[in-house]
Amino acid sequence: MADEYPFEISPMFEGERIRKDGMHVELSGPKSKGYELVRATPMDEIEDGKFTLIGPDLSEMEEGSRHPFAMIYKIAGELVEEDLESIVERRNHDFQNYIQGLMHLNQRYDVWIRVSKDAVAKGLTSFEPIAQAVMMLFKNELPFIEKVEAVYVTDLAEIEKEMDNVKAIYKSRDDRTRDLHDEDVDTFYGCTLCQSFAPSNVCVITPDRISLCGAINWFDGRAAAKVDPEGPQFAIPKGDVIDAEAGEYSGVNDLAKSLSSGEYDRINLHSFFDYPHTSCGCFEVVGFYIPEVDGIGWVDRDFAGVAPNGLPFSTMAGQTGGGKQVVGFLGIGINYFRSPKFIQSDGGWDRVVWMPKHLKDRVLADIPADIAEKVATEEDAADLDSLKNFLTTKDHPIVQRWVEEVEEEPEAEEAQETATFAAPPMMQNAMPMQGMPMMMPSSSGTGGVKIILKNAKVSIEKVIIQKKE
Amino acid sequence: MTKVIAITGKGGTGKTAMTSLLIRHLTKTNKVVLAIDADPDTNLPETLGCEVVKTVGDMKQFMQDERDNLPPDINKESIFESKLYEVLEEMPKYDLIVMGRPEGSGCYCYVNNLLRGIMDRLVKNYDVVIIDTEAGLEHFSRKMIRDVDDLIVVTDGSRRGLRTAERIRDLTEELDTNVRNIVVVANKVTDANRAEIERTADGLNLELIGTVPVDCVIAERDLKGLPLFDLPDDSIAVQEVDKIAKKLGL
Repeated sequence: MADEYPFEISPMFEGERIRKDGMHVELSGPKSKGYELVRATPMDEIEDGKFTLIGPDLSEMEEGSRHPFAMIYKIAGELVEEDLESIVERRNHDFQNYIQGLMHLNQRYDVWIRVSKDAVAKGLTSFEPIAQAVMMLFKNELPFIEKVEAVYVTDLAEIEKEMDNVKAIYKSRDDRTRDLHDEDVDTFYGCTLCQSFAPSNVCVITPDRISLCGAINWFDGRAAAKVDPEGPQFAIPKGDVIDAEAGEYSGVNDLAKSLSSGEYDRINLHSFFDYPHTSCGCFEVVGFYIPEVDGIGWVDRDFAGVAPNGLPFSTMAGQTGGGKQVVGFLGIGINYFRSPKFIQSDGGWDRVVWMPKHLKDRVLADIPADIAEKVATEEDAADLDSLKNFLTTKDHPIVQRWVEEVEEEPEAEEAQETATFAAPPMMQNAMPMQGMPMMMPSSSGTGGVKIILKNAKVSIEKVIIQKKE
Repeated sequence: MTKVIAITGKGGTGKTAMTSLLIRHLTKTNKVVLAIDADPDTNLPETLGCEVVKTVGDMKQFMQDERDNLPPDINKESIFESKLYEVLEEMPKYDLIVMGRPEGSGCYCYVNNLLRGIMDRLVKNYDVVIIDTEAGLEHFSRKMIRDVDDLIVVTDGSRRGLRTAERIRDLTEELDTNVRNIVVVANKVTDANRAEIERTADGLNLELIGTVPVDCVIAERDLKGLPLFDLPDDSIAVQEVDKIAKKLGL
């Protein structure tokens, strides 16, 4: 079989770099143009194994020269569908790198290919055997492909003519990909990169929840776990859905148990208050509960000032980090703001009252239109009083919660006693919260804090913590 | 097998000059070399006589800044690899890569993890990888380059230079780096201080494998901003570095 081709084919040639000294020609790349594209095509429109070249062939190219280059593969088969295009397209990178003397980098319209002098010396004079080898590998490795046809283009005008169409195809694919949600998959991914400094951290990456550092999305997790299942990113079978709204899954809970050495056995992916995700330390943004307005504020590491609760990012990050489940604080990656499931079990955006202006601007397009102007920034509110005023003036949905509370209060007070505790024993005995005591502005010396429990029966519905007057 | 040599030492002792002369030696013996400038005070390109516009640091930043704008299912390692190849300066017989700017705020764990994988594959393409690095050994502690065959600590005639060598030796043990062999080269040596340097190195239990004499041609070229890469073969520094290279089996 290998004798058909004027080169060797093996995965061991992956990672082979062709230096400028050893390069016969460079195709596409940062200094030229090109693309690679796989298209699902009806069976009867494909002539299996056919290769077409538009433009000059390898033998007509001068040593050391650079040329535009596009590769189009049409695939057909009973199981072939549009959604498989990008998966198949990705394999072009692998298969071309299996060919000795060929270097393929990057993807889509950033592809960058080099053919070595050695390969040409050994008899490679045309692109045809390359295309034939890739088509052979497609059919062998991806058996759902029944027919395949290749078109390579080295003519600049032809490539430029198609470029807009090609980009539109990539874009529509990306739009479909962005539409992938937790309920559409049966596997999530975990990451242990932060465990060196946050040993009990359980980082769960799902289509609707990016890693806390903001660097790893579900697709990155999938790609890494496929290459090295024992590596820092690995698959988490989702298991049973326990609570779709909060984002609780049996597979995630099982993983939490083993990854945190038994410290945590429940994680709700989309909750701020109940068994929230652990926070590592490298999260991009930290969310903080503001009891005075019953809302949640968010602050990112680029915000140098203090949030309305009187604390800067660094202080809150210090309390939140370390791989703990910290009720009242939550570390997230910026992209989680764009998730349709963003803290959905606690009211989502309706619960958000404050964020720094630059952060708000960054995610503005993804904030529901009716709430966007009601979320305060440092320009609107620097402290709790101005925040309350702002929320009232803008009629933020959170104000509705205050009204409900006031209505309930008389009854509650008749039925229950209002308990006041000194903070430390209360924290240790009754609340499974870590870091919460630190949340108190450390303006100690003023006599600590007062904690009021309202409507407390067996479980605690609300805890209000405020500075002692 | 790729041989990995790292060069470090106190500032101003001539690490970069030593690196350039070793690269010069290697390319004359037809080895394919990857030169890595891992010193934040990037001097190697100028000493070699090539111009570097972009660095690995720039590309790490690109990956950080663009991560939310890239297509969601794109393979980030493949993009980063291509970006890294873009900043690889390709010279006859050797490639040069500059680590450059330090990291900004935020978490670089993921990007660094990708970089480790890419570097592992990249270094295999060369006969020799030679790294000019600062005395803090940050790139080793981060395991950006996992295995080092020989770590050359460059010192000048000062006792402090040799003390730095001693500290670096201790540090490589503490950091659990994979350094097989540590040697010392004394630079800018004169007849007056040679015996004292040898005695001090011996007292600190450091293996001194060469002494490079003061070469006024180097000082002159330095001042004029001329690369050291094309020093004449009969330069005394060139001859001494050739001897050191042979001792290291290069």
